[in-house]
Order: sequence, then structure tokens, then C-alpha cells
Amino acid sequence: MRPTIVILGLILASVALRSTASDPVGRPDGLPVVLETRFRDSILPFVQKNCVACHSGPKKKGDLDLSVFQSTDAVVKHLAQWEVMLEQLESGAMPPLKAKEQPKAEERRQVIDWIKAVRREEATRNAGDPGPLPPRRLSNAEYDRTIRDLTGVDIRPAQEFPVDPSNGAGFDNSAESLALSPALLTKYLDAAQKVADHVLFATEGLTFAPYPVISDTERDKYCVRQILDFYKRQRTDYADYFQAAWRFRHREALGDSGITLAALAKREGVSSKYLAAIWDLLSGPQEEFGPTAAIQAMWRDLPGTKDTATTVRAKCEAMRDFVVELRGQLVPEVKNLTAPRMSAGSQHMVLWKNDQMAANHTRHAPTGPFKLKLVKLAAISAAAQALTVPDEDDAKKTYEATFSRFCGVFPDAFYVTERDRPYLSFAKERKQSGRLLNAGFHSMTGYYRDDRPLYDLILSGDEQRELDRLWLDFDAISGAPMRQYTAYIWYERAETGFLRGVKAFEAVRAEDKDSTSERKMKQFEDILLGQARATGASETVLKAIMDHFKNMRTALRRTENARRAAEPKHLASLRSFAERAYRRPLSKAESEGLVAFYRQLREKDGLGHEDAVRETIVSVLLSPHFLFRVEPAAPGSGRQPLNDFALASRLSYFLWASMPDAELLARAAAGDLHRPEVLLAQTRRMLKDDRVGGLATEFAGNWFDIRRFEEHNAVDRERFPAFTDSLRRAMFEEPIRFIVDMARNDGSALDILYGQHTFVNGVLAKHYGMPEPKGGPDHWVKVDDARPFGRGGILPMAAFLTKNAPGLRTSPVKRGYWVVRKVLGEKIPAPPAEVPELPSDEAKLGKSLREALELHRADKACAGCHARFDGVGLALESYGPIGERRTVDLGGRPVDARAAFPGGGEGSGLSGLQTYLRERRQDDFLNNLCRQLATYGLGRSLLPSDDSLIEEMRIKLASGNNRFSALVETIVTSPQFLNKRGDVNLSKDTTR
Amino acid sequence: MNSNSKGPISRRTFLRGAGVAMALPWLESIPVWGKPTVVGGVPAAFPKRFATLFMACGINPDHWWARGAGAEMELSRVLEPMAPYRAKLNVIDGLFNKNATGVGIHPGQTGNILSGASLQRGAELRGGVSMDQVLARHVGQESVQPCMVLGCEQPVTGYHETNFSMAYSSYISWQSATSPVPMEVYPSLAFDSLFDNRGQQRHRSVLDRVRGEAASLAGQVSAADRARLDEYLSSVRDLERRVARARSEQQTAEARGQNRDRPVATMPRPDNGLPEDIRDHMRLMCDIVALGFQTDKTRVATLLLCRDISGLFYPFLNVGLAHHLASHNDRSAAYERVSRYYVSQLAYLTSRLEAMPEGDGTVLDHSCLLFLSNMFSGSRHDSSKLPLLLVGGLTGALQTGRVIDYRERGDDNRKLCSLYLSIMDRMDVRLPRFGDADARLADL
Repeated sequence: MRPTIVILGLILASVALRSTASDPVGRPDGLPVVLETRFRDSILPFVQKNCVACHSGPKKKGDLDLSVFQSTDAVVKHLAQWEVMLEQLESGAMPPLKAKEQPKAEERRQVIDWIKAVRREEATRNAGDPGPLPPRRLSNAEYDRTIRDLTGVDIRPAQEFPVDPSNGAGFDNSAESLALSPALLTKYLDAAQKVADHVLFATEGLTFAPYPVISDTERDKYCVRQILDFYKRQRTDYADYFQAAWRFRHREALGDSGITLAALAKREGVSSKYLAAIWDLLSGPQEEFGPTAAIQAMWRDLPGTKDTATTVRAKCEAMRDFVVELRGQLVPEVKNLTAPRMSAGSQHMVLWKNDQMAANHTRHAPTGPFKLKLVKLAAISAAAQALTVPDEDDAKKTYEATFSRFCGVFPDAFYVTERDRPYLSFAKERKQSGRLLNAGFHSMTGYYRDDRPLYDLILSGDEQRELDRLWLDFDAISGAPMRQYTAYIWYERAETGFLRGVKAFEAVRAEDKDSTSERKMKQFEDILLGQARATGASETVLKAIMDHFKNMRTALRRTENARRAAEPKHLASLRSFAERAYRRPLSKAESEGLVAFYRQLREKDGLGHEDAVRETIVSVLLSPHFLFRVEPAAPGSGRQPLNDFALASRLSYFLWASMPDAELLARAAAGDLHRPEVLLAQTRRMLKDDRVGGLATEFAGNWFDIRRFEEHNAVDRERFPAFTDSLRRAMFEEPIRFIVDMARNDGSALDILYGQHTFVNGVLAKHYGMPEPKGGPDHWVKVDDARPFGRGGILPMAAFLTKNAPGLRTSPVKRGYWVVRKVLGEKIPAPPAEVPELPSDEAKLGKSLREALELHRADKACAGCHARFDGVGLALESYGPIGERRTVDLGGRPVDARAAFPGGGEGSGLSGLQTYLRERRQDDFLNNLCRQLATYGLGRSLLPSDDSLIEEMRIKLASGNNRFSALVETIVTSPQFLNKRGDVNLSKDTTR
Repeated sequence: MNSNSKGPISRRTFLRGAGVAMALPWLESIPVWGKPTVVGGVPAAFPKRFATLFMACGINPDHWWARGAGAEMELSRVLEPMAPYRAKLNVIDGLFNKNATGVGIHPGQTGNILSGASLQRGAELRGGVSMDQVLARHVGQESVQPCMVLGCEQPVTGYHETNFSMAYSSYISWQSATSPVPMEVYPSLAFDSLFDNRGQQRHRSVLDRVRGEAASLAGQVSAADRARLDEYLSSVRDLERRVARARSEQQTAEARGQNRDRPVATMPRPDNGLPEDIRDHMRLMCDIVALGFQTDKTRVATLLLCRDISGLFYPFLNVGLAHHLASHNDRSAAYERVSRYYVSQLAYLTSRLEAMPEGDGTVLDHSCLLFLSNMFSGSRHDSSKLPLLLVGGLTGALQTGRVIDYRERGDDNRKLCSLYLSIMDRMDVRLPRFGDADARLADL
């Protein structure tokens, strides 16, 4: 029995650590006299006779010294140690079998009863004690989620951290276990720098990018994406507008009488400004000929409301196709600008052409109207008729003029997102795609904004301002104009040779920090203009050069000004960042200190603005106010109410494993969060939020011991090729999604055991033999009745079945132990060290596992424990080593899932097990669920004084249909959760 | 202030410069900075160093050759600056980088020169980790700076006509498949990175601040709650001590050097801003590499003398065109002068290392310098073979004074990455494969 003693020693050692901090809330009178007397008369003699020989002195077994317990005061003070004694006495593990003499059963009973009585006494006396809750460091999981909610991007720096130890109950969110070391602090420093590398210096304040944005290319990528996303959000499909206009025409028939055009646009999600323009054109005065007449003819031709929506849509799309085809044939051609010896790829030349092309979006080529070839238009239609070129010259002129209005309403493009190099031949450039928002330079940085039609025709005033801001942010964040200008210098130097031999040009260098100063720009402009004149460039070219310099100057100065103007806003961002990082308002001194630190970095350490901001962010993320959940001490004795900000953090770390959101902080700021109705309303809101995934993952993941399942590598993938990374990921997600669903929809806690439903994605459905839902691995569906596939509830989920199987065989022992120990909460001593190992491969086992286990149980030393769980595991034998359903084992023997359950009763398979649990163990399960959730929610091991909370949870659960919310609500409104132990040594004025 | 101004030296600059002038050579500095030099009576092996010097757009192909061996080696006009060191020189002909051929000119020929990776076109950068960074991760961990990545010309972005990003033309050193290593072009900052660790300075400020916060916080929680904060405080102090130790060790080393009146590595801190003259710029960068090697502050350095499609001018060579345009007439006398000028930079760095005694030899003897270009001929943009020189014997691991020609050995036996494997072997970094090679270079 040695191994048991060693394990016990470990347990006691941790208990001893804990008990030093668990001095209860004040100590009025001692125990009732009857307990005091019994301690003297029988307990003390019992301990001295049976225990102290081993558990005392320098060689005390299990690091447990029982000789110190000479009074009941000592017992009460270290009650946790006595609770371990209680377990040992009850299970018969102590005194050990090899002891010379065993106590009489009656004596043992007496001690057991006495400890229980003392515990009850203590539990009642201190009921609701908040317990010891020192500042808690964020766990790794909390750290990652907090960074995610703080920055808005999921950086997950904690992946590099050492694994957090868990407390006795298996959770890693309690102060008892969350220590801090210099090694971890170094990791925090690295992580903080990593996060700071994501900060973007936008004109309105700091934001964070999903990847590090230190380098120009990464900043460009981010800003380009922002602008493209904006473009993509806009509705620019002509068919949508035609359809909306049609709806407006038939508003009465469609039951929308009285709706305005603007209201309809809003409902349809299209631009009201542009819909008005389209409506005016379509329903305005009928034109005689030309493109407007053509589209009006098609408009008149649209079906009424009797036709199906599909028909209407198809006709609207035909109108669109007509416009697109027509517009494609009207685009004016712009010839390259040329000058002797000058490269057509020089910035001023390329941009001149870009400008012409951009201006042409709403113009037509003069000859275009006379050589149309519209293949999509039915030749005999009225629309085709309208586009027949008239014979007479005067009529021709009128005909051509009609194109102007049309092209003004229907641009050939609303915006351009990709540009090849327009000065090269189209054929050569066609394949060069992916140059987003590019100016089309050769080998030079340069972006070009070409969205005038969108801006003028579609965007509202607010949207115009947003788009302007995005472009300004692009320049300010990435410094693109500066780079474009220095690239200009480089290009003229290294690529064109246009300035060959111009001595003065040698002094114009891209490398110079002041290369964008007015003086140096003028110098370059003069050199370029001088050489252009000398080589006979046209006035257009000279003007293109001057325009380019003018535009570059504007862009550069605008960018510089925007950057300067943004600096105070960045400081304001820093303050609000710190405030949210600390999860409470900053004091005046803190706020000033933060800015002072930034100034010190700039002035004393010589850092630039960006470095200083990043470094200030590092200091915030390394601050104890961020890394620890510090609850200000409450002066006085007994329990003292927590302030609302600390309460907000308790709530959010319980339900989301992350920081409070804006609403929660607002309630805390309003000072009413502690009011029960506010607290419960917030709790309900939070349970419905997606972030409740934090609770599911951290609470259920740790409770069920699968938190690290994504690293589970015990499966032989050659024998089980189905076990891919994506299946493993899906297996892990299944129980998490199950719990999230239970929390969000307030399901019954009993569904964990008996639920008929589960959640699958494609790969998991395949594994379970269910119809596979379409969509990628992120597409999950609820299967309402999974029983026909042998699933439903937590027990038959592949993650648990796989985790508790050693690879090439199942393990009824491990599975049974998992159900009994983890799910039902039964305490079972660890096995002795010399337990014989079963072969690891079921195929190589001479007999079935069932038979092997029967032999094992024949050994009396093993039977005591194994009888408590083997049967439970055997009922799950129809699931193979990776949780797949099976009828024969790997050795080809038929699977038998019949089982005799602990404490009596027989059954077979999952349903047999569920019946057994329902009839005999449901109480165990609910009790355990309450204890586990309370431990997690309070962030500490439970104390005897928490017994009343558990009782109340049970009562609420029973009266509330076993709804999950009953559990959560009982915890968050408990005195434990709302209070903190007071500290008599503190006076009011030393605390905030 | 104009970054190029040469006004009075600020106090801060002066202090920095003064501190550095006392940095000690490796042998002296080791006992206080790192491992003991002598272990059980056996001197610790000298550190092995590796530097790459890159020149873009090829050399003058008519004047790039060598014949014979050792002191008798005959050198072409372009290689002539290396004449004093021919016994320590290897001229390697005919190596090539397969993934830098057949992909169009310039960026695709450059961004993978130290990685052998296939490069991705379009907006997303993707190449491979370069061999200098592999070395940095191994041998570089022993020194203050795992690797110095320096350049004498600013990087550019944008797209080349081949639809490769111009980033490939600007960076040869890559820390991951998607990220180039930021290149330092300011000599003053490169210098600081070796001797006045700005990161450490910043850490001190941050640590100082959070220690203050923790201390004031400790006063606001109850005595029972203080234990965890104490843990935090002692962790902060521990980190601070480490930073302080690094500084005091440097000061001790400096003091020791002063007392013994030893020939210490001396170099004043370069001025802020960029040198006006490219000759000064390159020379300063070589000085910094040499100093970094001598004081064992770094063991790996990559110096981009010029960028691909370079815009550098050489008025002092009487060459009217910028580098790239000049390379389009690479058989000209002008480009011969340019090519020789670049080889003379290698010769300069060689001379600096050769002048630094270390044990029975010099720092050069414990180093390997790699000089290469991304093309053999700039007029034809030909990267089917590359001009390549190695200098220094890596403490006897690399035989020198040879001309080795791989041209006729078949493509599988003339891989640039095979050379990298062989060099890394000799730096005690043994990899089964690198880039496109899984075999060492024969006969090196």
C-alpha cells in the first residue's frame, strides 16, 4: 500500500499550503461542548493509538504530523487535513493493512462521525465566507482571451507560456496554483512586445491589426484590405437598383403603399442616392432614341407583380447586362504620354494616364456610339431600335449627345481595385493580377485612388467621410506617399537614365532623411523640368511633372499633418487602453503617470512616437494591474462587499474567461452592478453571448479533463487513418459546443448525461456514421436525435472515449474511472504502483478485455476499487479506441457491452448505463456538477463554509427544472461571490 | 536637425561613443562576458564567424577569373584587390541557385539567394529562411546580437514587371518564409545595436515603471493577499538584475581593458544620419562588422552593399550611370571599375579582420567571408552561374588558396545550397538538407 501513502502525502502537502490561508472569518466561540468532550475522550486516544506512530516526528509519513492536534482549535484550524483523514478512514485505506492492529469498526465509526460533525459545525458557523482570494494572475487561457477582447484581434501569445498548473479540483483559474516566476515574467515581456507589434497608428487613435504591422509591406496589406472591404460592402450591381426601382413602381401592389423611395432603398440595402438617380432616369421623361431610351424601353417592359420574383430578377439582370455591355464599348482610349528619352513608366507619366482614365469612367468615346455591337440585345426589341444610328447629321449629333447623360449615370466602373501598368501593352499585362489599389508603376511603391463614381453617385455623406478617412489612414499608417516619392528618385536614377550626366542629380538621394523636404523636392523638380525642356518635352509633359510634384507635396504634407494631429489621439487611446486593460477607471495619478512614461521614453530615452507608444503598451501589459485580478482589500472584519468593478471582473472571468465588456464596465461605473436585478440581467445577457465559449472551454474542458485533447497523440494513425487533425479538433469541439448550447439556451443540466442531441461538423458526422452536413469544418449542426447513431449527451462523445483508451485497445477501466471519478465525482484512491499492465494492443490480447478484467478483479487487492468503475466502462465497449461504433474488437471477437454496475443493477450499452445513472447516481452527478461549477466560479477550492451554497444550488436546480442558469445565478448572487474577506489591519483611508 | 549635419557631438552621442571605444577583443572579454576562455587548461575554441557581402546585378564577366593556387594564384583585374590575401581566398566558379533561374529577371533572382527557396509572385511574400538566419539561430545565440543584417541602400517595395514584389530585390536575409529581416542602413544605429542595447535600456524603463506600480499596489491589499504580489516583485527584480548585470559586465570589461593598456577595439560612434559618400558608408559598415566579430558581439553578419536594381552612383569612379543601368553594359571599362570597387570592399573587411590578432592567428582565420552577386552577367541577367568568393579558413575547417570550378559537373553537383550546407557543417551546424540541396558540395 506504499504508493497510496505517497499520494496521500502529496494531497496533504497541498492541503497544508491551503490551510494557512484559510483562517476563517473571525472566531467566536469554540465547538459545542459535546464535541469537545468527545475529542478528549475518544478521538485523541484513537489518533494516538492508531495514527501518531507513523504520522509524527521528523520521518512523519505523508508529511502529516498528527501529534500537533492536541485541541479542537487546532483541528478546526486545519480542518482540510482532517477531511483527508476522513476519506482515508471511510475508504479503509488507513490504517494500512500491514498495521499491527486495526481499530474496531465501532471506533472507526465514531471518529468518522465526529469529523463529520465538526465539519457541519464549521460549515454552518462560517456559511457564505468569501474565503481567501488573493490577487489572481490571469491564467494562460484568460490571458489569451483578455488580449483578444482588449485588442479586438486574436493574437494568442500565451501559446508560448509554460502550462499553468491546476488546483486540486482540476481548474487552472485559482490563486492557489497560479504562481509567477521570473521565467514567466520574461514570457510576459515577450508577449507584451508581440501584442505591441500589432498596433496601428490610425488618424483617429490606436487600433490593432490581426498580424504584426511593423514593416511597410504588412501595413500596406492591412490598409489595402480595409479599403477593399469597404468597396466590397457597397452595392454596385445595377440589377439590384433596377429591381428596387421595380418594387417602388409596384409598391402598392406589393403592400408597401406609402413607402418612400429612400425608405425602400434602406430596406433593400442599396444606396438611396443612387436609387433616386436610377428612378429619375427610368421613370423620367421618355427619351426618343439613344441608350437612355433603350433602357427605358426595357424598364417599361418589366413584368407586373403577377410574375414570379425569379422572372423579375432575370429581367433586371438582363437590363444590367445590357448596360455593362454597352458601357464596355464606350470607354475612351487614352494614349500614352511620351517625351523624347523619357520613360513612359516615370511616375508623372503613369499618373497622368491614370488621371485621364479615371476621369473617363463617366464619359464616352466620341466614336463609340456609332459602332456598337450589342450581342446581348434582341435585335428586334425596342431597346435595339433606340440604338439604331440615325442617318441625318443633325440627328446623329442629338443621338450622340444622349450618351453623355447615360454615361454620367452608368459609369463603366465605380472603382478600380487592381491596376496593371497602363503604359505597357494590354496583352503583356493581362496576366499580372493581384496588384491591389496599385498605381501601376514599374518596380515602385505607389497606390492610386480611383473611386470617383462610387464616391459621387453611391456614397452618402457619412460613407464619403469614412472612405476619405480610410485613405488618409492608409497614408498615415503606412507612409506610402513618402515611399512613393523616394521610389520616384530611385527610379529616375537606377531605371531610366533620363537624367544621365546631370551633375546636380547626384545630390538628390532617396536615402536622405530630408529627401521629402520642400527644398529638396524643389531641387529635384527643377532638375527634372530642366532636363525635360532640354530634351524637348511637350507642354503636357511639363505640366504632368509639375502636377505630380504638386500632388506629391499635397499628399506628403497632408500625411505629415495627419500624423502629427494623431499623436494626441494616440495618447488618449493609450489611456483608454490602460483603463480597459486594468478593467477599471484610472486614477488621476495613474493617467498622468502613463503619459509621463510616454514622454520620458521620448525625451529621455530618445524614442520616436511609435516606439514610445509601443513601449507604453508593453508597460501596461506587464503591469500587475493587468496581469493580476486585484480586488482592493476591504477594511474591517467579516465579509465586506466587493466594489462593482471587481465584481464585473469576477462575472466576466467566470462566464467568459475574459475581461468585462463595455456594457459591464458601464454598469460598474454606474455603481448598480451589485443590485440583484442588474446583476442577474447582466448574467443572463452574458450567458447568451458568444464569449460564453470561454466558460464551456475552460470549465467543462478542465472538468472533463480534455482541455489538452488537441495535443492528444496516443492514437496510432496508421491503424486509425480516420483520426486526422481535423477529426481530433472536431472531437474536442463537440462537448464544448454542447455546453455552449446548454448555457446559451439554458438547457437542462441533466442533458449532460441523458441528452439525445449532439453537435457535429462534416468530419465528425462521418466518423459517427451520420449524414454529413455541407460546408467546411467550421460548419456545425445540431443533431436533435443522435440516438440512432449511438450518440447523445456527453458520455458517448468521441473525445472522452478516445482520451480514455490507450491507443490500440479500449480501456473499460479508464473509461469507467473517468465517468465515476470525473462526471460523478466519486473519490477513488490511485492504483498501487505494481499493477500489472494489459497488452497495449487488443489484437494481441489472447482473450477479450472483459475476460482479462474479470481475472484482475479476482485479485482481492484490486477488486475493491475496480468494482466501483469497471462495469461502467464495459457498458461503453461498443465504442472502439477512437470512439467509433463497433461490433467486433480489434482481435475480431464480438463486442459485448453488458455490464454489472457498481452497487448492483445490470444493463447493456449506453442506454443501460444511462438507466443505471438515472436510477442510482443522478444525485452524485448533480452534486458534483454543483461543486465543480462553484469551484470554477469562485476561483478557489471549496471550503466547508461553501456547503450551504452547494445546498442552495441543488434546491434551485430542483425547483428550476434543472436549468443551467439556476446554477450560475445562485453562484453569482451568493455571499461568497459578492464579498471579500475584510482585513482588520487596514484602515479605510489606505484603500482606494 | 538635418540628419546629415556634422554639428557638435551631443553629450549622449559622446557617452555612447566613449563607452564603446573600450570594447574588448574576444579573448579578453570572454571571462567577464561569457564562458571562461580556459577550461581545465585547454583554451576554449575560438568562435567561428560568418559574413555575407552582397553586390547586385553581376560583375564584369570578362575580368572575373583566377588561376593557380595559394600564393601563386593569378587574379583577374577585378579580383586584384584580393591579391594580398590570395592564400586565404577561395574562388568558386559555376555554382547556381536553381530557383533563381527561369523566373524572370531581378527580384526572382535575388530574394532567395541565401535560401534557395522558390519565391511566390503577387502581393503575398513567400520565400524561405536564409542560411545566415539559420546560423544566427545556432551559433548566434552565444552573442549579444544573433545576427547583424546591414545594408548600404534603402529597401524598396512595389512590384516588378515579373510580378514579384520588389521586397525580393531589397532583402536577402529572411527570418521566416514570409518575413524578411529588417535591414539597418544607418551606421550609427548598427553600432548601437552592438554596444548600447536599446532594447535593454527600454526594458529597464518598463521594469522600473511596473515595479513601482506593484510596490504601491502591495500597500493596498491585505497582508494575506500580498504573497502573490511579492512573487511578482521578486520576478521583476530578478529581470532587472539581469539587465544590470549585462551592463556592469560590459563596464568591467572596459575597465580591465583600460588598466592593462591593451590594444582594444576602438571605433568612435558613427554620426547620425547617412554618410554623404557611399565609400564612407560601406567602409563604416565593414568596420562595424569587423568590430562585432572582434569583440564577439555577433558571429553572423549580412551586408547588402547595394540592393538589386540599385540606384547607387559612383562619381568617384567616373561612372556616369547609376549601378543598375551601368550593369546593362557590364563588359565596359566603367563596370569593371564598379566590380573592382565592390571586391575592394571585401578586401577592406578582410584587411580589418586580418589585422586583429586572435590566438596564434587572426580573427580572419576563424571566420568565413562570402562575397557573391545575384547574376554573373548584368547585361544578360544571367544567373545560370554566380560569381562567388570565400575568404578565411574557419579555424582550419576550410582549406583556402584554391580555385574550384564546378561548371562542368552537372546541375545536381553545383548547387549554391550545397555550399551552404558545407559551410554550416564547418560552423558545427549540421542539417540534413537546406533549400534545394540534400548533399554537401564535393571537393570544398
